[in-house]
Amino acid sequence: MSNPSPTYQTAKGFCLTSAFWMIVGTLMGLIGATELVAPDLTKNIGWLVFGRVRPIHINIVLFGFVTPGLLAAAFYYFPRLLKTELYSERLGVVTVVAWNIALVAVVLTLMLGYTQGREYAELIWPIDVAVIVVFLMVFFNFIMTVKQRTEPVLYVSVWYALAAVILTACTYALGNIVWRPSSGALVGIPDAIILWFYGHNVFGLLLTPLSAGVTYYVIPRSVRAPLYSHTLSLLGFWSLIVVYTHIGTHHLLQVPVPTWLKVIAIVDSVAMVIPVMAFLINIWYTAKGRLGEIHADIGAKFVFTGTIMYFFVSIQGSMMSLPDVQRVTHFNNWVVAHAHIGVLGFAGMIALGGLYYILPKVTGRPLYSRLLADIQYWLVLIVSIGFTVVLTIAGLIQGNGWLNGETVYRILPQIHPYYVTRASLGLILVIGAALGFYNIVRTLFVRSGEAVT
Amino acid sequence: MYFPYFITYMSIGLVISIVVFIWALKNGQFRDQQRARFLPLEDDLDQTAAGTSRVSRYEMYGLFLLALAGLGASAAVLIYSLFYAP
Repeated sequence: MSNPSPTYQTAKGFCLTSAFWMIVGTLMGLIGATELVAPDLTKNIGWLVFGRVRPIHINIVLFGFVTPGLLAAAFYYFPRLLKTELYSERLGVVTVVAWNIALVAVVLTLMLGYTQGREYAELIWPIDVAVIVVFLMVFFNFIMTVKQRTEPVLYVSVWYALAAVILTACTYALGNIVWRPSSGALVGIPDAIILWFYGHNVFGLLLTPLSAGVTYYVIPRSVRAPLYSHTLSLLGFWSLIVVYTHIGTHHLLQVPVPTWLKVIAIVDSVAMVIPVMAFLINIWYTAKGRLGEIHADIGAKFVFTGTIMYFFVSIQGSMMSLPDVQRVTHFNNWVVAHAHIGVLGFAGMIALGGLYYILPKVTGRPLYSRLLADIQYWLVLIVSIGFTVVLTIAGLIQGNGWLNGETVYRILPQIHPYYVTRASLGLILVIGAALGFYNIVRTLFVRSGEAVT
Repeated sequence: MYFPYFITYMSIGLVISIVVFIWALKNGQFRDQQRARFLPLEDDLDQTAAGTSRVSRYEMYGLFLLALAGLGASAAVLIYSLFYAP
């Protein structure tokens, strides 16, 4: 390293951001889930109605919890893999502050009812601009660090992180129709196409590459073995870029969008097997015979579990793009289960893994409590699996209902127990988030324990 | 045109991807892949790893069972959907 004592202020800032907003994001999810079983609970509290709580939950989990967690690790591994200093730690800290201001604005505006009303693209224009600006700030810091590198070869994690950040800045601008500030929307079918292109990519082209980047860094280091194949990892990266960018229309197979677009979306959704398996084979072969090391490192344990979830969510994703499968799985809680495996089980797990992996390195001290982190691991894992099971069952009941022409009110009592279970699992997750926040704050701010050499 | 924004984005994305790919090719990013495998390890290594305990083996079994349950559920839905496809 050219800098013997980097401060990692940006990485620390994103760690704290992720840990704090995980509590807020999951709490909003819990409130929303509770309202689905007890609608009168928040009666007459306008800023807490389901229609406001749900977008807050989604946006905060995406931009408040998971993305900053993954970026924290990226801001740690960028200088190390490129054998240089971060281009500007000050710019990084400014980015963290701006990011948090934007998140506060997200919560306040959505609670006050300021929304553009498009699913996943609810945020109003000024916040849209703020989101794009912070992503560009991160990209600028990354690309300038790349420019001043002393290591000529870009490791695959660097490729993934760069692509995630710049693609998201573009996707966000386009998907939120930023050139139309008043509505943030087109009209009719073109708007649906662009919205679902955005809705899929804002998760897929942000969380997936960032998570892959963290995994490609953490797993070889924690098992102390070289990556199984760097060539295979680059094949996975480039195939992801080729096939993942235009699969969003698989959300619109029941809609009169052009058939060629549906065909592209379905074919590329199935073709996602290539980058997914390239990534998983690479990681699992790297870890083969070294699971003891993974268990010994709480960060690697989170990350490795995230890769298992990635397998499931990706196989599901490819399956769900098939029209016959969608007849059962679309427009019901199956999709919600899929989203929770993806965002919580895969990307959320890896974000937490990245945090726990880098925390001892950036602070120079061991984690405050390995036990608390282990408890959080099991809580998050149980909740991820639990969400998947109960929401999949609820989705199948609903899907079966649609398929057989059953009326909605006759289905609702059947899914009630699963909604109650979902809310209880949400409570467990909030507890897990609070434990994690406490652990991370203690690690960052309380000087205790011995220094890590 | 019916969906100009989508086609514009795809075209811009494709052009940028190709330009970056060509840059990577000319810049030698695809050479020396054997050394690239070791890049994360070139830094100072962490503390020595702890061995596998009995508890961690149980954890592994637990994860394996959960994984099997998830795979089973997914397979069941696929079979169900295809079986009932009109």
